[in-house]
Amino acid sequence: MVLIWVCLHVVANSVEAEPQASDKSPLAVQIGSTRSLNGTAGDYVTITAQIRNTTSRPIDKVTTYLSLADEETKLPVDLEDWSAEKGLFIETIDAGQTLPLQWKIHFVKPGAYSLIVVAEAAGNDVPQTSTITRFYVKPKHNLNPGHVLPVALGMPVVLLFIMVIVTYKRNSKVA
Amino acid sequence: MFRYIWIKEMKGELFTWKSTLWLIISSLLLSFTSYSFLTNKELCLLDQTEMLWLLGEIIVGTGLLIVAIDASSTVTGELENETVESLFLSPMTLCDFVLGKFLACLTLWGFIFIVSVPYMLVTSAGSRLGSAFISYVFLLGTLVVIGFILLVFTLSFLYRSSKNTLTTSLIILMALAVPAVFSSTLKNNPFGWLLSKVNPVDNAFSALDNVLVDGQTALSQNWPFLLPLLIFCLLMLAFMAYSVRCFSSEGIIRNE
Amino acid sequence: MNPIIHAVNLTKSYGNKKALDGLSFDIAAGEFLGFLGPNGAGKTTTIRILTGIIKTDEGHFTIDGPDLPDKRQILGVMPESRGFYPWMTPMEYLGFFADLYRIPGKEQATDILLSQVGLSAQRNSRIGTFSRGMKQRLSLARALCNKPKILFLDEPTLGLDPQGQEDIQNLFTKLHQQGITIFLSSHLLDEVAQLCSRVVIIHHGRLVAQGSLAELQVQIGSQNSTLKDIFLTLTKA
Repeated sequence: MVLIWVCLHVVANSVEAEPQASDKSPLAVQIGSTRSLNGTAGDYVTITAQIRNTTSRPIDKVTTYLSLADEETKLPVDLEDWSAEKGLFIETIDAGQTLPLQWKIHFVKPGAYSLIVVAEAAGNDVPQTSTITRFYVKPKHNLNPGHVLPVALGMPVVLLFIMVIVTYKRNSKVA
Repeated sequence: MFRYIWIKEMKGELFTWKSTLWLIISSLLLSFTSYSFLTNKELCLLDQTEMLWLLGEIIVGTGLLIVAIDASSTVTGELENETVESLFLSPMTLCDFVLGKFLACLTLWGFIFIVSVPYMLVTSAGSRLGSAFISYVFLLGTLVVIGFILLVFTLSFLYRSSKNTLTTSLIILMALAVPAVFSSTLKNNPFGWLLSKVNPVDNAFSALDNVLVDGQTALSQNWPFLLPLLIFCLLMLAFMAYSVRCFSSEGIIRNE
Repeated sequence: MNPIIHAVNLTKSYGNKKALDGLSFDIAAGEFLGFLGPNGAGKTTTIRILTGIIKTDEGHFTIDGPDLPDKRQILGVMPESRGFYPWMTPMEYLGFFADLYRIPGKEQATDILLSQVGLSAQRNSRIGTFSRGMKQRLSLARALCNKPKILFLDEPTLGLDPQGQEDIQNLFTKLHQQGITIFLSSHLLDEVAQLCSRVVIIHHGRLVAQGSLAELQVQIGSQNSTLKDIFLTLTKA
């Protein structure tokens, strides 16, 4: 019996739990696996989530969007800088239906962040949020993006070299 | 005859390290700017087209500043160093003198442009705007620089003083350049709109914006910006012709 | 015989100040003329008018007849203002003016000019390192660049040491012997008396006297007067 109970528990945890509704909101939102969210500045990642209609009636006009906060400064991040789509609009979620959600974002600034997904249904004053997902963006060190370094260093050096040669030749000719 | 004045000026610029130092400094500025654009985390937020637009503005602005400083002393320097009398005792006309000096100043802009080409190439790599970027920076920069050289020469012949010419030129340049970098909301009122239409620097920057950010690369799509630049050049040529006539009638040497 | 320079009623004002007031004189071809006057008399203004640097308000003049389109081809001028390009060498400086005058074989021509004025050893030195006397010599070399028919000299030996003055004066004599008409404006009356066959004295922009030393002595009624005495007598009156 104990063995069967353990097996059942493992099976239950291995399956991604469906979004759970709170007492008040008919919608349940959950962000996908957070392991893939950690990255490096400059990376483009896809944030996945699921939204479920926990009621027995369809829900119309649902808006879902991301909310990102910088854990260091405790300030919200303007997602326009991160190139994320503003929000996803769902015309109708049927009763009991679960729909996938997806946002592509560009990691711009390194640091630690907390992310939630918010869902609002028309006619309902209480939005539903997912649990907080935390992730970390590592800084990117690229000393030569776009091969700019040879030009940035080389041009002034080349100009200076040309001038030195011209001056040397002139000085050797002129007393 | 103007050819000899032109060559003499270029040799003077080269051997005295005057313009060459400016070229090296502008190269350092472009190095810092392009490197910052591509590596700075915040600036990497810029769309590549906006980055190119900013770089184009910096190249044209730097060219204008350096040419204004050079042109301020090229005519008045001959007056102040008392070399002008020897020049006009030779069979050289005032026209030769002005043309030779003008070409020398324009050649300096040419060198600044050549120095900036590698930076333009490296920052526009990966976009399809490289050739349009380089062509329009050359075209717009040349038009604005021509007009400004003529303006500075006008002041030179009227003031006959390099200090006054330089100060006035820089103030005019600032007065033209500062409104050009105002946001579009500030230009929404009738006065701001009119100012942006007649301001040659503003037209040059707006044309660059039109080409790089809005992707309007054909010449026909940029005539609204090119026409005011051509009118500016023609107006300045007329002013300069008037100032040269005044200079000539007063005499090359004025007994003060 | 027609004079090589014929000036009639030259008048020039700078604002309210009249620099020249109806000045008229002639210079014969091949003459060595001394042009004297106190400071502010109008000597440099006269030279600038005759050489085309400034325009006269009234009056007119002809140089070598009315038909020569550009007088500058036959004029050599050593002006009062002696500016140079300090980064240039004498070879480059004279070469530049040889180009302006379209002198063929400019290398050889500049070499000859520099040896004439005693600057051969400094041919490749920067003008910026020159002394005042060396710059005077270079200015004279430039005035001789186009092998002029008429040479205008405005204070040519000012600032030169005695040896330098003598060298340059000897050169003037040699040039005069070659048939060049020389117009010499100088405060050094001994120099003028030694070199010039005729003198024009002006004061307040007007002609005061002209003639040879002997004629001027008769004019002031003193046979033994030096040029200095004559000058002081005539310009004090």
